[in-house]
Amino acid sequence: MIDELSFPTGPIRSVAKDRTVFEDACITCGDVAVALEVVSVEGGDALCRADDGGTEVVAIELVAPVDPGDRVLVHAKVAIEKLP
Amino acid sequence: MKYVDEYRDPELARGLAQRIAERVEPGRHYKIMEVCGGHTHAIYRYGVQDYLPESIELVHGPGCPVCVIPMGRIDDATVIAEANPDMILTCFGDLMRVPGGRGSFLDARARGADIRVVYSPLDALRLAVENPDRHVMFYAIGFETTAPSTALTLQRAKADAVTNFSVFCNHVTIIPAIKAILDSPDLRLDAFIGPGHVSTVIGNRPYEWISRDRGMPIVVAGFEPLDLLDSIAMIVDQLADGRAEVENQYARVVRDDGNPVALKAMADTMTLRPWFEWRGLGSIDHSALQLSERYADFDAELRFSVPGVRVADPKACQCGEVLKGVLKPWECKVFGTACTPETPIGTCMVSSEGACAAYYNFGKGARQRVELKVKTRA
Repeated sequence: MIDELSFPTGPIRSVAKDRTVFEDACITCGDVAVALEVVSVEGGDALCRADDGGTEVVAIELVAPVDPGDRVLVHAKVAIEKLP
Repeated sequence: MKYVDEYRDPELARGLAQRIAERVEPGRHYKIMEVCGGHTHAIYRYGVQDYLPESIELVHGPGCPVCVIPMGRIDDATVIAEANPDMILTCFGDLMRVPGGRGSFLDARARGADIRVVYSPLDALRLAVENPDRHVMFYAIGFETTAPSTALTLQRAKADAVTNFSVFCNHVTIIPAIKAILDSPDLRLDAFIGPGHVSTVIGNRPYEWISRDRGMPIVVAGFEPLDLLDSIAMIVDQLADGRAEVENQYARVVRDDGNPVALKAMADTMTLRPWFEWRGLGSIDHSALQLSERYADFDAELRFSVPGVRVADPKACQCGEVLKGVLKPWECKVFGTACTPETPIGTCMVSSEGACAAYYNFGKGARQRVELKVKTRA
């Protein structure tokens, strides 16, 4: 969240929380990918956990095999890389 | 937060800024293009430019897939959705507000079309499985970061013999876009900041021609502010040393060969289009993907009648020049007045990663340079 940024940027124009541009933010335009930790694996899917404790079911075929404890880079609910 | 806090350390940022300032050549102007929309967003959001000498100009490239989609492709999907009452059109969030000639998807939804936001093509496939009496079409868009998720979804749909699912494919590829920019006569660049997560998939090797044939440095970079400053320092070092190389600043994620399994999934499900129209850049050969013959049953363009609409951009809109880096967002005639994130005229104002929206949300009227004690080069 903008308010929690620790990086000093000088004054940032306050960002209206209701601005529609931030709702449904686009993962493809931002080239957004997040690192998640694998909790359990079931077939081609894995239950993964983010640092904030949130969980997500992620397709892992493109980085298989993965084991619980591995960290994967996830884009659009698909793991695209296994992280060291 | 792991892997985040260490890349936002202000003291390290100051150190990198100092290193950059000491390596720039007095009197020389540097134009460095970040190709990726995620980098554009991060540069404005974190004020990265405030840490750079005035002589370094960051030029924002065409790396936001929503920004480069031509209006006609929005209209094509709208026509399909409205002509087929059993259709559920699914797309990523930012696409909802992209203006087409017949309005946006939001407008089409207001007229009665069933158009829903999903966070993954896998969500669209799940929707199809849960609604066997409906047809679910996924509006696929994105560079090579996103194409593998569409590819994997198609493979699952085929394996599970799902018949009420299709993909309207608009995936684009980054290399032809970079080539088009380099071939553009009205823009002179010194170097590129390479896209981080696209490179996770395609690797670093596809960029080698940029350094070898065009004599330009390219540094693949991560998305945190220190990643960007570090990559700019690496570029300035290369230019100061007279080197032109592909370097990988994002080695904690990107491997030289990318992800071969993801590339294989893409090759299985998709093939290059002969040409594709890019907003602002025009038609570029072999710059986009369509479904392969093996997946023809899932190709919305074969299953449905597609009008092939071509719509000229609004005259007032200068997205084309912004996408090529020729104009800065605030130099556009309608920036911040007729064109805002709430009522965008052009695509660059729609996506929060578009150069105009990023500048509108985070930009400042004037740069406020971070004070450094710099010993500049003689």
